[in-house]
Amino acid sequence: MSKILLIEDDEIMPKIVARILPATEYQLDHVSNGKEALLKLEATNFDYDLIITDIMMPYANGFEILSKVKNQSRPIPVIIVSNAGNEDMIMEGFKLGADDFLKKPILPAELLIRVKRLLMKNT
Amino acid sequence: MDTIKTFFEGGVFIYGCMMLLMYAVLAIQSYRGIKLFRKRSSFTDYYQLLESPLTPGISVIAPAFNEGVTIISNVRSLLTLNYTRFEVIIVNDGSTDDTLDKLIHEFQLVEVDFAYNERIKTQPVKRIFKSVNTAYDKLLVIDKVNGKSKADASNAGINAASFDYFLCTDVDCIIERDTLLRMIKPFMAEDYRKVKEVGEPCPECGYVHIEEDSMRVIATGATLRIANSCEVDEGVIVRVRPPEKVLPRFQEMEYIRAYVLGKMGWSMMNSVPNVSGGLGLFDKEIAIKAGGYDHASFAEDMDIITRMNAYMIDNNLKYAIRYIPTTQCWTEGPPNMKVFSRQRTRWGRGLSEIITIHRKILFNPRYKKMGMIVLPYNLFFEFLAPIIEFTGIIYYIYLIATHQVNWLYALILLIFVYLYSVMITTLAVCWDQLTYGYYKTWREVIGLALMAFLEPLIYHPLIVFFALRGYWFFLTGKKTSWGNMQRQGFGKKKT
Amino acid sequence: MALLQLSAFPSTIESIFRNAPLAIQIAMVFIVVAITGTALAYYSILRSRYRGYRRDKKLSVLLPEIDNLIIDEVLTNPDMQQDIPADQVPLNLEPFQRLPLDRPWARQALTDRIIHFRRNVRGNMGNLLRNLYIQLELDKDTMKKMKSRRWEKKVQALVELTSLNMSIADVTILPLTNSRNRELRAAARHAYIKLSKNEPFKFFDVVTDPLLMWDQVELFRIITTTEGIAIPNFARWITYSGNKSVVSFCLKLVVHYNQLAAVPAIIKLLDTRDHYLRADAINCLGKLKVAEAEDQLVRIYTSQPLHCQIEILKAIGRISSGRNIDFLKTEFLHSTDFDLRKSAAKSLVKNEWFAKQVIDELLATSSPENLRILKHCMNPLIKY
Repeated sequence: MSKILLIEDDEIMPKIVARILPATEYQLDHVSNGKEALLKLEATNFDYDLIITDIMMPYANGFEILSKVKNQSRPIPVIIVSNAGNEDMIMEGFKLGADDFLKKPILPAELLIRVKRLLMKNT
Repeated sequence: MDTIKTFFEGGVFIYGCMMLLMYAVLAIQSYRGIKLFRKRSSFTDYYQLLESPLTPGISVIAPAFNEGVTIISNVRSLLTLNYTRFEVIIVNDGSTDDTLDKLIHEFQLVEVDFAYNERIKTQPVKRIFKSVNTAYDKLLVIDKVNGKSKADASNAGINAASFDYFLCTDVDCIIERDTLLRMIKPFMAEDYRKVKEVGEPCPECGYVHIEEDSMRVIATGATLRIANSCEVDEGVIVRVRPPEKVLPRFQEMEYIRAYVLGKMGWSMMNSVPNVSGGLGLFDKEIAIKAGGYDHASFAEDMDIITRMNAYMIDNNLKYAIRYIPTTQCWTEGPPNMKVFSRQRTRWGRGLSEIITIHRKILFNPRYKKMGMIVLPYNLFFEFLAPIIEFTGIIYYIYLIATHQVNWLYALILLIFVYLYSVMITTLAVCWDQLTYGYYKTWREVIGLALMAFLEPLIYHPLIVFFALRGYWFFLTGKKTSWGNMQRQGFGKKKT
Repeated sequence: MALLQLSAFPSTIESIFRNAPLAIQIAMVFIVVAITGTALAYYSILRSRYRGYRRDKKLSVLLPEIDNLIIDEVLTNPDMQQDIPADQVPLNLEPFQRLPLDRPWARQALTDRIIHFRRNVRGNMGNLLRNLYIQLELDKDTMKKMKSRRWEKKVQALVELTSLNMSIADVTILPLTNSRNRELRAAARHAYIKLSKNEPFKFFDVVTDPLLMWDQVELFRIITTTEGIAIPNFARWITYSGNKSVVSFCLKLVVHYNQLAAVPAIIKLLDTRDHYLRADAINCLGKLKVAEAEDQLVRIYTSQPLHCQIEILKAIGRISSGRNIDFLKTEFLHSTDFDLRKSAAKSLVKNEWFAKQVIDELLATSSPENLRILKHCMNPLIKY
């Protein structure tokens, strides 16, 4: 059972992701902005196997979360899912250590494969 | 004596009618504008700007002076604006508190060698900071010697700005997340364009030359509201509420009227007189060519717009200044009489200054709408209104003292003016509700609208008094002891 | 007694009105106008609040229901897991009958929600969502809007059709592409590009009014995201179009698709008299990294206006062939314009691979201001 944190301010996306990643294999927690995300991460002592995050959100953006996560002793793999497909932003994300980037609208199968691959790599 | 009397009475009556007519015109124009805006927003997808490589860049400039208490959350909220290509320039205007230290610590700033091009002269810039953390790479902090004005600090920000457009705001303003998306649109979609092809295809390049008679949008503004009773969480508005205290509540109503009804109406006639200093998006090239903000001005926001207008007309360029009716910015309104009187006196002084400085434009047909409509309107209906009202009252008292009053007619006239002003204000609240259903309950809306009945009796006399005081200070050239506080006219935010 | 007074009231008013001077008469008329206006304003505020409240309440019930149905019937459709093409997947429409689909507002809400879902997922799931839209006959509502007399309804319909990738007959769209209303015209063109089976780029040939920046953003998104659109060689319009904004837009597309075949046309464009267009062409050559154009750019440099010169310096930086280090160095040292020096310095830094020595030398010998510019450009923390 892998623990995944989804940070996303769109109301529909979490529902979709919850269907793509079967509940039998993944435990999915959802928060809807940067502040909640940081609180959640601190409360659980960064105990997640994977983080899926949007970039532009209130309070703290995806990059800030990314930089916090990657500065941990045990870096958690991060997938950015965003509709901002601006090249600069993608580069910036990778510079901060993002492991993957998916542009919305996503292909469900693609998300599933990338999640699996990242989880495999880290176990 | 009788001729003077008739002349005065007739003059005031015509003046009054003109003023009321102006308001009616503005109300109708702004209604048209809001209708059009609503139609457009029924299909406009602002978010496509987020994924486009063609989106223009914007520099967000926010001067800060002794804002240590709130600086971090406010900068954070600026950094999380919904936009892809932008930078946030915080100008620390020689704060004497820990504003800069807090910024350095929180955002991991280091001093950098920055190619600062002083196109507009300002007080010296001491240091420029960037963050070592890529997550904050949109942030640029300028530390400069205090210039005793917001204008000087903004100018330093403009000098350091890298993009073609800049958004000028205050650190203590709270900006709605989609503001940049919404405010950049008028720059990109000004549809007044006449194009004609001229002559045969050019032998050299094969093009039919096109004479483009397009309009350049040089600034956009949006509605501001009072933040006093809104619920704010770390620089983000979570619940909009009309101010509970009476004084800020009057201001909220006044702001709605001035922006939704006034500026929106002017925008439809393409003669916006002013873009608020709290929130305005500008074309950087034109702003710099017009000389930037005037640090000696008491109304630097109106001054720069007037000069940008003049620059465009002097160079025979077609231009527009646009307004959007939605509220994009919440600002702390003066909570008590002391701060309020200081703010309004300053405004009065600023207005007299604008009229005198730009008197060459006034009634100059060369400056088209600017010279023939905008400034004359400001002269007659903004600047002279308090004076005329004041003399009117004196005159009335004289009439009463000499028993010359027809009480019935006086009463009818008073009721007329009173009810008309109530109507205009109520319409403004109504138009505002059409743009977006601000506030949570209908009680809050009605509670605000009902203030219109009290305004002419309580709030308006105060404004007249403070404006006259401002004129007086202007005439006597009184040195104000506000110093750094002048831009700090706002109350400190609770955390 | 009171009743008597009340009935006398209108006549008193009337007599006052008759005997009053004109000013007072006007005032009296306007008192009535003001009272009516205020009352109407209050009525309309309350009405819009009430409607908004009702709408929010209805939607707060309906939307979760819609979401659940879409998730159960579309997203977790068992056939979806087995990669069966969307058009062969039978949809169970029965549960959707639970929704109040006889109501236009509910149908609209469902359409909007389907579009919202499609903004988040594509591929087979996206196609199945589209099938749902068709099978529930929501497209009929959209077509009805197309026929509306109100232009904003037509635009809404066009937006819906494009986001759902519904094909429309050319005869329906083409007349709208020449509409007098700019927004309708633009929306129709966008729809045409996305949905036309024939020649999607045809209107590039005929359009005479400038494409606004806003329209370009929209067009760019449509062109670059539509699947299965045949991308033509944009050199055709760069060479032949008489519409400046079309040429400039095509240059951006050329960069996006890295169409090196268009390079000769762009180089020819350097001779245009329009210096804004020329700047765009230079920018495009730089982004395409066309090293062959570099010498020509350097040659024309001195005769160009400032913004073209800046573009040339930037282009040399982007191409970064290392062949024009001396040129950049001269510009950096001797140009009087701040922006030119900055662009030159930036391009030198981009050519660092070849210009290492020159940069070191400049670092040791430059004036304080130039040194600051150079350090600015070398600092990885500063992007622009």
